Amino acid sequence: MSARLSGGDPARADLDARVLDWIASWRGEPDAPEDEVRFDALARDLFAFQLERCAPWARFCAARGVTPERLASWRDIPPVPTASFKEIALRSFPAEREVHVFRTSGTTGERRGELHLDTLALYDASVVPSFVAHVLPELARADGRPARRLALRALAPSPGEAPDSSLSHMFGVLLRRLAPQLDAARSGFDVRGGALTFEPLLAALESACADDVPVALCGTAFAFVHLCDALAARGVALALPAGSRAFETGGFKARSRELTRAALRDAIEGALGVPAERVVNQYGMTELASQFHDSVLRFPRTPRRKLGPPWARVRIVDPATGSDVSPGEVGVIVVVDLASTGSVCAIQTADLGLSREDGFEVLGRAEGADARGCSLGAEALLVGDARA
Amino acid sequence: MTSSAGDVRAAVSRLREAGARLRRRPAAETLAALARVLDAWRDPASRWRRALERELPGAAGFTSPVVREGMALALAGWKGEALLALVDRELGGPRALDGGDGTLASPFDVTATLLAGALPSPSLLALLAPLAVRSAVLARPSSHDPVTARLVAESITAEDAGLGACLEIVSFPRGDDDALGVFLSGDCVVATGSDATVRAIAARVQPPQRLVTYGHRVSVGLVGPEATHGEALGAAARGLALDVSLWDQLGCLSPVSVLVVGDARAAVGVADALAVALRDLAPRLPRGRVDPAAAAVLAQERAAAEMRAAAGREVFVRGGRDEPFCVVCEDDATLRPAPLHRFVRVHPVGPDGIGDALAPLASHLAGVAVAGFGAGERRLLRLLADLGASRLCRPGRLQGPPLGWHHDGQGVLLPLVRSTDLELD
Repeated sequence: MSARLSGGDPARADLDARVLDWIASWRGEPDAPEDEVRFDALARDLFAFQLERCAPWARFCAARGVTPERLASWRDIPPVPTASFKEIALRSFPAEREVHVFRTSGTTGERRGELHLDTLALYDASVVPSFVAHVLPELARADGRPARRLALRALAPSPGEAPDSSLSHMFGVLLRRLAPQLDAARSGFDVRGGALTFEPLLAALESACADDVPVALCGTAFAFVHLCDALAARGVALALPAGSRAFETGGFKARSRELTRAALRDAIEGALGVPAERVVNQYGMTELASQFHDSVLRFPRTPRRKLGPPWARVRIVDPATGSDVSPGEVGVIVVVDLASTGSVCAIQTADLGLSREDGFEVLGRAEGADARGCSLGAEALLVGDARA
Repeated sequence: MTSSAGDVRAAVSRLREAGARLRRRPAAETLAALARVLDAWRDPASRWRRALERELPGAAGFTSPVVREGMALALAGWKGEALLALVDRELGGPRALDGGDGTLASPFDVTATLLAGALPSPSLLALLAPLAVRSAVLARPSSHDPVTARLVAESITAEDAGLGACLEIVSFPRGDDDALGVFLSGDCVVATGSDATVRAIAARVQPPQRLVTYGHRVSVGLVGPEATHGEALGAAARGLALDVSLWDQLGCLSPVSVLVVGDARAAVGVADALAVALRDLAPRLPRGRVDPAAAAVLAQERAAAEMRAAAGREVFVRGGRDEPFCVVCEDDATLRPAPLHRFVRVHPVGPDGIGDALAPLASHLAGVAVAGFGAGERRLLRLLADLGASRLCRPGRLQGPPLGWHHDGQGVLLPLVRSTDLELD
């Protein structure tokens, strides 16, 4: 897939270049004080740019009395609810320049959210350093040369099979761009026709074990459940080589039995021999170009929390007021992502979270909780936007 | 206090003995005692109602005025004599329980009742109904309402200690599979909950056990052309505002959407009137606790409506961000997620579009509050009944179902007995 830059709009080209410059220079370092200044300046410019081109968002902000001129800080940018991506094409470029659409997962008949793109350049550029910093940090530390080449297995369909899946696209980009550092023969996709291709995967994993090749096993949370169940059904418990890790993302709803994140990590450790502290969860959304990851590999021996790249920031807000909650207090997760130059840079999720030191923790949507009432609405509102 | 599997087993054992003693008593005596219990609960000054008003808000998150007014409306028609009339209607009278001529009603020895949600009146009836057919009751309260079942048990014991011994309450966490397994060994199991919960329970209850289930449901309002203006509009809006505000819209009889037969202007008029009525009602019936997860969805859906308006749709949002309600006037009849907690959508619909608009809810429709259809109402009621609604009433009455309401289209007592027809003449 081409990753050409968006053309025809000098202001956009300037913004894209500034974001790409930041992405290119980042090597996984912790946030520095000057990053906040840089982020705020770029966010203000991007907000002004997008308001000029995305009329629905401009009217939404105007109704709240927010204009670029009156913006005190990037924290005051009114976020767009993720639900709106199901109903409104939120573009900051002319529709005729659209080159790709990513869609959220959903059950039959359910309306799916859409991210419209006129270029994949920023999307692709943002994916790699963020993944490397949090999932393959030794690559960042060793100038791209790991001690041993890893096998990267993606428990997901290939981009060719699922062209509107942002997750498949992400894995495609990673396999392509990281190819020189990977064990190419043992890397690839492990879902075809909507099902895990268990036999080839098992063969690849056993071969990696035999040759002591560490594996980065990546996929949706429900795919890991299917894999662990399939291994258990065969009576197989693998012990992947030292240095292996797992990367999981998304929810379970209607795709597999549901597990807590901690139980999933335990299941992965039991079935694959990947220690729980080497299992990284990604908090990502189709509506965004950047993702957040567990800190466990990037900053081992510190509490697990979600961290992002410096060009994407999270606020935890009181849903009633939209104001930031106090540190440690539960609120709604709002993301401002500067790599989302072609749509809108600020979104409000339906997920609860709380801040944790320099990152945050995702509490999810209280799924499985006992409903306080007997109204169906209480169930309907649990319908998620899980990315797949 | 948490009950272990052993505790639950011991409770079942005690209940089998107490139930056997109960079934040796005349049915009329038991029904008279339960009728007196109901009458005590109907009295707003009774110790049970006062305790409920005092204790339920902290546990369930409703405000005291909502509990007070909600119970007053819910129990208005639940007189002791209504229970006796219900036995007559569904079973043919107490003789069916004692052994008469006609159809005999045999209770199950122990009925295990999984209570759900935080609304107290469904719990009250769920505990009294098995006793009315002389089955001992093992109940597990929902985590959101540890109060009602205990007070009901105390009220029965205060009236009739022997009857009180036939109701035991156990409490165990969701994940205690052993305790749940013993609990589900009841001869009759009554479960209320989401489709997933009901499916999970059904998988564990096997014949000859009886399983009675009540699913999560949804209710709506329907406003016809004759109630879109003038005093009729005001009355419909005030009634719907009460239906929405009581129990903070969390019950299956709480309307989540209002369909207005007419054009967009008519829908806006109803939305405006409803917003005014909700605002007027808020001081009398303050909204209760909104948990962070619910607040997140409320904010999401409100902002999504504002974005639709910003994108050029004829969508209007009524109720300020700092107000305890939100009315969204949509520009089509497409039903959307219901965040509850006094969040109502108003939809315009053509006169022939009601069936299609409600079709997605058909298998989950509970009540419909109907106003303003004049001569065309009878045909509409037939349509709503065929769609699956189990209750059709006027705005303002949704939260006061009669004791004999065919909840989910079922009887109240009949599902709790085995019936035997006598054909000896």
